Amino acid sequence: MSRRVFLAVAVVFALVGARLVVSRGIHPVSAERYNAMARAAATPATRIATTASEPSATPAAVKETPRSEPVLTAATESARESRSAAPRPAATETVDGVTDIDPHKAFGSKNAPIVMEVFSDYQCPSCRAFYLNTNRQLMDNYVSTGKVFLIHRDFPLPMHAYSRVAARYARAAAEIGKIEPVEQTLYENQEKWEQTGDVDGTVAAVLTAAEMNKVRALVKGGTLEPLITKDYELGEVYRVNSTPTSVFHAKGQTYPYAGMMNYEILSQFLNQLLSQK
Amino acid sequence: MMQSSPLNFRLVVIWIGRLILGGIFIYAGYSKAFLPNRNFWPFFILKFSLTMNISNFAAQVEGFKLLPAWGVQFVAHTLPFTEIILGLLVLIGWRLRIWATLLTLIMLGFFSVVLRAYLLHMDINCGCFATPEPINLQKVLEDAALAALAVAMTIFAFIEARRPHPWAARETSQAQV
Repeated sequence: MSRRVFLAVAVVFALVGARLVVSRGIHPVSAERYNAMARAAATPATRIATTASEPSATPAAVKETPRSEPVLTAATESARESRSAAPRPAATETVDGVTDIDPHKAFGSKNAPIVMEVFSDYQCPSCRAFYLNTNRQLMDNYVSTGKVFLIHRDFPLPMHAYSRVAARYARAAAEIGKIEPVEQTLYENQEKWEQTGDVDGTVAAVLTAAEMNKVRALVKGGTLEPLITKDYELGEVYRVNSTPTSVFHAKGQTYPYAGMMNYEILSQFLNQLLSQK
Repeated sequence: MMQSSPLNFRLVVIWIGRLILGGIFIYAGYSKAFLPNRNFWPFFILKFSLTMNISNFAAQVEGFKLLPAWGVQFVAHTLPFTEIILGLLVLIGWRLRIWATLLTLIMLGFFSVVLRAYLLHMDINCGCFATPEPINLQKVLEDAALAALAVAMTIFAFIEARRPHPWAARETSQAQV
């Protein structure tokens, strides 16, 4: 019996050990290591201002930058190849050690004790569920009250045909201060536009003609593509392979979590994170 | 007269079945409960990791459109730990017939569910392990092979239990002499 137990335990350890060796899952990352990896991920061609003190460009400046980038495809690889030709995108900020924050896609107080990054894909059903069921309450109870600084990151999965297009439109809407209605309509009408590919029409339904013209100009300009690619690369640093994935930064620690979370569970976790000494 | 070896075809199948199925069940349960989220400390972080992993698994179970909401939650909360315990018991070999029968029933259940999803062309994740796996012919054949191995292991375990052990037989015959 004891020999059998020993054998069983040995096999279990071997299996778990082998899994850990070849693991490609998500791991907790210390803040210092995360920052080092994030800096390493940025190439000189796309390196953008990473501190608030650096000169920052306004949305208007973004529009005025030369648009040398051709029409981009949804494929990540081609986007990466073409990004070197792209103009400098809008300046980004650093909050609590988290770099490359697009101020148009970040919400709440920069002094909040918890920084939460959400990597999402507009065509992913779980992201839709997260946005429609959890995000609103999170914004009302934690973001608006200064407890959480929320950052939306784009992570358009290659398996989704229109998610990168949707990300471009959402980014463009963010640049003109209309991210909330556009995100709302993209998620609410996900099942329609993922069939037809009519992202433009979906977004146009909630914007005025003048706003839509600005959005279309930004989308065609290609200046937003490096920002999306940048978010995607940050996701790769965390080994994000599914959406939504949320990354929590609190008290010098970083905790990545893959999967949809309902508000009750998230709220419980955030409260415990806030009360942690 | 020379005694035959205690190892025969049936015992080999039982050993292979125990090692393969026991190992796969332990890993399957472990991966469902502890992957992809593996933040283990402090305790509330571990609790959140487990909750997230089980909730991810529940979403995969729900994808099969077979169970009501309470059934999905029940399976998601019990199956990973059942798999770990059952895998360990089969590996150890204690009361093998009981645990092998249970494992076989579960394996046949998995096979039928995967086969049904394949025949209905359901575009869902298998939910077998933590990593996303589409349901295709290869997955159906893998499950069929494992189910067949489980059935063979269980039948042979019952047959072998009825046969006197070769060494015991020798002792008996020597005692009679």
